[in-house]
Amino acid sequence: MKKRGRGMACMWYPIGFTVAANPSAATVKVNTDGTATLLTGTVETGQGALTVLGQIAAETLGLATDDVHVVSGDTDVTPMDTGAIASRTTYVTGNAIVRAAEKAREILFESTAPLLNVKPDQLEARDRQIQVLGFPSKSISIADAVQHSESIVGNPAIGSATYNPPTVEMDPETGQGKPFNTYVYATQIADVEVDDETGEVEILKIVAVHDCGTPINPMLVEGQIQGGISMGVGFALQEEILFEEGRQINPNLTNYIMPTSLDMPELDVGLVDNYDPTGPFGAKGAGEPTAVPTAAAIMNAIHDAVGVRITTLPATAERVLGAIMEKQQLEQAAG
Amino acid sequence: MATRNKDIQQKTEELITVEESKAPAQQPLAIPTDNPVAYPLELPQGEARLRTPAVGQRARRPDGRLHGLGQTQYIDDITFPHMLHAKILRSKYPHARIVSIDTSEAEKMPGVMATLTGAEIPENSFGPTYQDQPVLAYPIARHCGDGVAAVAATSEQLATEALEKIKVEYEPLPAVFDPLEALEKDSPKVHGGDTNIYTSKVIKKGDVEKALKESEHVFHRQFRTQMVEHVPLEPHASIASWDGNGRVTLWTSLGRITLGREDLSRTLKMPQSKIRLIGTVVGGNFGGKNEITTEPVLALLSKKSRRPVKLVFTRGDEFISSTIRHPFVMDYTTGVNNDGKILARKIRLVLDGGSYCSWTGTTIGKGSILAPGPYDIENILVEAFAVYTNKTTTGAMRGFGAPQVCFAYESQMDDIAHKLGLDPLEIRLRNGFSENSLSPTSQTLQSVALKESLAQAAERFGWKERQS
Amino acid sequence: MLVELKVNGEPRSANVSPETTLLKMLREYLNLTGAKLGCDVGDCGTCTVIVDGVSVNSCLMLAARANGREVTTIEGLANSDELHPLQEKFEEHGALQCGFCGPGMLISAMNLLDKNPDPTVFEVRDALSGNLCRCTGYTKIIEAVIDAGRVMNTEQANS
Repeated sequence: MKKRGRGMACMWYPIGFTVAANPSAATVKVNTDGTATLLTGTVETGQGALTVLGQIAAETLGLATDDVHVVSGDTDVTPMDTGAIASRTTYVTGNAIVRAAEKAREILFESTAPLLNVKPDQLEARDRQIQVLGFPSKSISIADAVQHSESIVGNPAIGSATYNPPTVEMDPETGQGKPFNTYVYATQIADVEVDDETGEVEILKIVAVHDCGTPINPMLVEGQIQGGISMGVGFALQEEILFEEGRQINPNLTNYIMPTSLDMPELDVGLVDNYDPTGPFGAKGAGEPTAVPTAAAIMNAIHDAVGVRITTLPATAERVLGAIMEKQQLEQAAG
Repeated sequence: MATRNKDIQQKTEELITVEESKAPAQQPLAIPTDNPVAYPLELPQGEARLRTPAVGQRARRPDGRLHGLGQTQYIDDITFPHMLHAKILRSKYPHARIVSIDTSEAEKMPGVMATLTGAEIPENSFGPTYQDQPVLAYPIARHCGDGVAAVAATSEQLATEALEKIKVEYEPLPAVFDPLEALEKDSPKVHGGDTNIYTSKVIKKGDVEKALKESEHVFHRQFRTQMVEHVPLEPHASIASWDGNGRVTLWTSLGRITLGREDLSRTLKMPQSKIRLIGTVVGGNFGGKNEITTEPVLALLSKKSRRPVKLVFTRGDEFISSTIRHPFVMDYTTGVNNDGKILARKIRLVLDGGSYCSWTGTTIGKGSILAPGPYDIENILVEAFAVYTNKTTTGAMRGFGAPQVCFAYESQMDDIAHKLGLDPLEIRLRNGFSENSLSPTSQTLQSVALKESLAQAAERFGWKERQS
Repeated sequence: MLVELKVNGEPRSANVSPETTLLKMLREYLNLTGAKLGCDVGDCGTCTVIVDGVSVNSCLMLAARANGREVTTIEGLANSDELHPLQEKFEEHGALQCGFCGPGMLISAMNLLDKNPDPTVFEVRDALSGNLCRCTGYTKIIEAVIDAGRVMNTEQANS
């Protein structure tokens, strides 16, 4: 018989390395036609980091995403970066980019302020213009600004900067301290059906609501959540490396089961409205938190459906059925 | 001058005339009539990329265009002239002393251009926290995925055949596989010494024993998680090549090229300015491509053979020799009041730390801090240990211990709710972090959105409408 | 041995050793690196191409068996002016992340839509079940395939 169940799990997850310094450096150059180049030492691992980092640079410079070309991944050319790890790229590398772009922008403000008869701190960069705060019609295009700055004043618009999240060492005896500068939060709820005669678990739907601060690119955050949930589903129900006397017996994709398109349920994904003032334009991060609460939500749903508490992952049909039968035996013995 | 030129011209003509008789038969070349790789050049990439402000736009990814066209160049799509292919021989035993390695038979094979063993590596150790991991194991192999020798040959097939000709004499050593066994005094020691515990962490706040005694209910459960692998669709891949100035370039699927360059500088004993790492688009990382694997091996094979050398992991290599997620054994003891308020939480975490440290330091740190869950708890004790075992190296994998501890703390939360007759949503809202809550390490938390995520998820799901 | 076949409408040939797979021939002899090597044993689908109208794991097929046949690879989907509707929709929906599964996924999707222009979500999941993806959870891929199907139907209706 198929029994329906629902289960929730919430979580918290930090951004960056535990206490240890994990800086990022960035360089931003603005071209004489108002387009720009961003140099970052991170490597695109598929999550869309280069697009997001380009958006952050564009925003700071008052440009559109398409105006910024992102160069990455070459130790001869790009500055150091601690890497795309610990969900730190948007926050740490992003903050480095904001600072670098601000430096390049400041050069443009200094060079163009005399042209507009204002002081540099009266200027802002928006919609591809350098314009006066509170009086935007007084403006000069960023392209013209760069040309003036580079060819007349003699100051090319370039900026380099670094960022490292401030932390406080953890006490060696008690662990008390401030290991991270910011955290993200999330809740996932799973709707499952458990066949109490075979132990098979079918996930009908998962709802996920995540906090990532400001979503720099909502489409990419959704992708991270959906992908993270698929890793969570595999962790919960299918994946396991099996050993025999120290040798892996299933080092292949035939016998290491992971989610296919048929294993994934309908996903309903949402973002909490939040803004972190310490992050670039309020952003925090999204890469890892997405894979954290899924297994717990599914286990709680199984418990809701058939009243068994799975304490060892993965919850294969065998394990679930075993737990169901044990529960039935206990009930019969008691009753 | 003119005379000498005429001389050379005459000699060339003589040579051509003689050689004409050896010329191959003329065959007309088929001229392609269609473009086999046509693609559009100037199609726009959506309006969102053109809008200001840039933050918040659902901007398309320029690399997405290349992915869809099949134009993205992953490492295995790159070839160089005279490039060789490398393969690595892995340990026959999960724990063994390598008594001798004889590569002479492999070296004799035509097409085999270089071999390498651990003894030849200038500095045979690396690791982000402890440098306890060898590039090629020597003299001790500590898991079945430990590389023991490498060859570079003119084809992958040849390299694989050459591996079979390498003679390794092993002295098997007692091995330990279970992390709880590895904790015991008399267990085999993976790295020698008198304990397999190589890193530990304590988080202590308040008085957990007193608070547990004062709790109206105490819940205890042990939870366990399994070994899983990242399974990036793109296997690890790298190419190494040297130039005449003694500079080595590596094209690599490594996700952390700054660190990679430092590690290469260390293991090859070379200045960083002579090393260049190029990371192209990686076909999935998830934590498994965050440290060097074969790069120093390829650099040395390339140095020996004076040719570019490429190595791409087989899917089998991915499983047995790249890193995996730490299995956790978690003991949770939680004291609550009748109204479901958590007063105390005591946690013991044992991490199966695999054969080498890798990213265990980060995992145990994060795992310990996150273990009590996102809840206001005044009395906390977390004790965590990582032990060596003779199994695959456990390293960084998406979440660094968080998925494991979340499974434990959220499962127990529902156990508590169930026992006390409370709604799982209600008990979480009652205990969950708010703005300015104190974390387990007494950090004041800001920009907290836990309860918002709970409330919104519950509403989206229709939690209140569904009865258990 | 000489293997002659048509790839993306164009006659191609190469001299390969007998154990060479179609995948190796495409990637190493014909310089068409779109199809990928993910496992070499037909488990992951990154090597998917179409041979005589059937989608196959090219790592499981010997090049010799493709002799005289018509093969379509990812490189054959677009033309000089336009992307294939599937490529356009995948891009619009952000369906690919690391992209490694992309060529195989697109080929399987194209094979589905060519035979079943208006598939249900389940039919799409089923058609793609041989193409593993670790990054995306498949959600946006499926949305993109359904959306592309709609576009292709409209184009058909209008033409």
